Amino acid sequence: MDRLQKVAVLTELADRMRERGSWCGETHLQKAAYFLQDLLGVSLDFDFVLYKHGPFSFDLREELAAMRADGLLELEPQEEPYGPKLVPTPRSKELRDRYPKTLGRFNKPISFVADKLGEKGATALERLGTAFYMKQKHHNLDDESLAKRINQFKPHVLVESAKNALREVREISSEAKKFKAA
Amino acid sequence: MPRKNTHEIRDPIHGFIKITDDERRILDSAPVQRLRHIHQLALTFFVYPGATHRRFEHSLGAMELAARIFDVVTHSKILCDEVRQFVPASQEKLDHWRRTLRAAALLHDIGHLPFSHATEKKLLPAGWNHERITYEFILSEDIRALLNSLTPPIRAEEVAKLAVGPENAKGEDFNIWDLLLSEMIVGDVFGADRMDYLLRDSLHAGVAYGRYDLHRLIDTLRILPSTAKDDKDDEKGDRDSGEPELGVEEGGIHAAEGLLLARYFMYMQVYLHHVRRIYDRHLADFLIHWLPDSQFPTNVDEFLTFTDDVVMAAIRQRARQGIDAAKRLAKREHFKLLYERNPDDIRVTPEARQKVYDSAIQQFGEESVRQDWFAEPASILSFPVRMMDERVVDSRARSEVLRKLPNAKVDYVFVAPDRIDEARKWLKKNQRQIITAEGESDG
Repeated sequence: MDRLQKVAVLTELADRMRERGSWCGETHLQKAAYFLQDLLGVSLDFDFVLYKHGPFSFDLREELAAMRADGLLELEPQEEPYGPKLVPTPRSKELRDRYPKTLGRFNKPISFVADKLGEKGATALERLGTAFYMKQKHHNLDDESLAKRINQFKPHVLVESAKNALREVREISSEAKKFKAA
Repeated sequence: MPRKNTHEIRDPIHGFIKITDDERRILDSAPVQRLRHIHQLALTFFVYPGATHRRFEHSLGAMELAARIFDVVTHSKILCDEVRQFVPASQEKLDHWRRTLRAAALLHDIGHLPFSHATEKKLLPAGWNHERITYEFILSEDIRALLNSLTPPIRAEEVAKLAVGPENAKGEDFNIWDLLLSEMIVGDVFGADRMDYLLRDSLHAGVAYGRYDLHRLIDTLRILPSTAKDDKDDEKGDRDSGEPELGVEEGGIHAAEGLLLARYFMYMQVYLHHVRRIYDRHLADFLIHWLPDSQFPTNVDEFLTFTDDVVMAAIRQRARQGIDAAKRLAKREHFKLLYERNPDDIRVTPEARQKVYDSAIQQFGEESVRQDWFAEPASILSFPVRMMDERVVDSRARSEVLRKLPNAKVDYVFVAPDRIDEARKWLKKNQRQIITAEGESDG
């Protein structure tokens, strides 16, 4: 995928997330892109590591900044104490109109991620993203061990919540099979 | 007379930097001493003649600032209750981590290639960058043995993780304390690396834009629960995210704004200056020609032999032999700016520079055209701010300056000096046809 195709996919993802009620701050978009890439197989070519608030890609952060500099994404300020929302601009829509094949190819995976994650807040996304990250990295561990490991790295995620998140990841992963990118 | 166990080194930014006997042994190691011969700003001295400072003094400065940050933010009277559990309680553990942090800051740049960042993307094997070299060198036999021989020993694995941070310590998971410590060195907003290089580069380049209120900033730094939720997430059960990160007291917000503005200005004035950037390209061209297999080695012993002096000597020698890329550098015959990004063109297509570059190559040939681009993500960065009434808020909700801080982004196309007049006329005549949105559609 070249850069503009990637930008088309990311701004489409942001718009779909917003349509489903997402706050769509950087945390939300980072986690949504993580699921889109690593669970749905959309090859965005971002490298995710476990960071503040779960899986995070520094490359994606750079791309979001570049998209803002190119007038494709805007920061929409919010009242204290909240951080800004990321809003795709009309110019990004014009760009997406030039990529119907790319967006057609990834329409189902994008919709799936927006449907599953759009209503979730940053805390829930952190929990879910971290659970998926740990499950991918330590696929041989059972839920009990994984939950403890999640709690070890993110002590504010209690073991019971981590287990619930792992269960939810399993359900989402199972459903996702039908929607994976070809 | 008893032997000294601390040593003072004069520094133009921080006054006296004090180091222990153990730290002096790290300082005296070959990888750190090599940094005396690596320019901090590559060939920027071709544009700003004063910018001849080296990575060595920057590494000392980063160590000094990392420790100052650590001392402020871990002070028991300053820690707020929400984050106290994440910070080691015993003085012994705090001392251990302070020593580890200082060692990591001192070693954080040992993987830099000659002339720093200028050339690394093209000249290392796939998957390598200077941070990975740093990481591997800290874990190498010699540095590991050195750290292990200190009193008490320091673990190379811990030093390596903190020195490069989560972005570059591939495969390593960072717990919250690891994240906080690495943020004190390489963090995007409040890392000692950035704090030091802005002031140091500003001083040596003679560009005042890089200055900010360092003392006020460090004095107001805190470990704070993040505003986390950048939404109105009312879920119960977990301790509502609140994952701690480095932030500031409300009184430090202007100092933080000053730091990020300084960074923006330094990028636009110095780091992304178009002449400096084209010299980086010519240097990369030269190294591709000169290095065996067009790549730097990544094993420690070979790597350590490559310094700026060695490369400069080779440039002068090859220039005498008439090698083009060497002459560009030695005789200052750099390519000239043909095109740079502007809002009108970006409105048509974000790929305007690529289109100009592709067309210019067709017109003037690959050997006469170069391109360059860079985007710097300061404006989407956020950090927690603790208000006078104890609320913790997102920095961008608090600061209009941060919300409106532009991104430093450049796009350049350069052409050989003997073709530049012709190229400028050509572009003036054809720009409208070249920069179009057509042809991008895959529909």
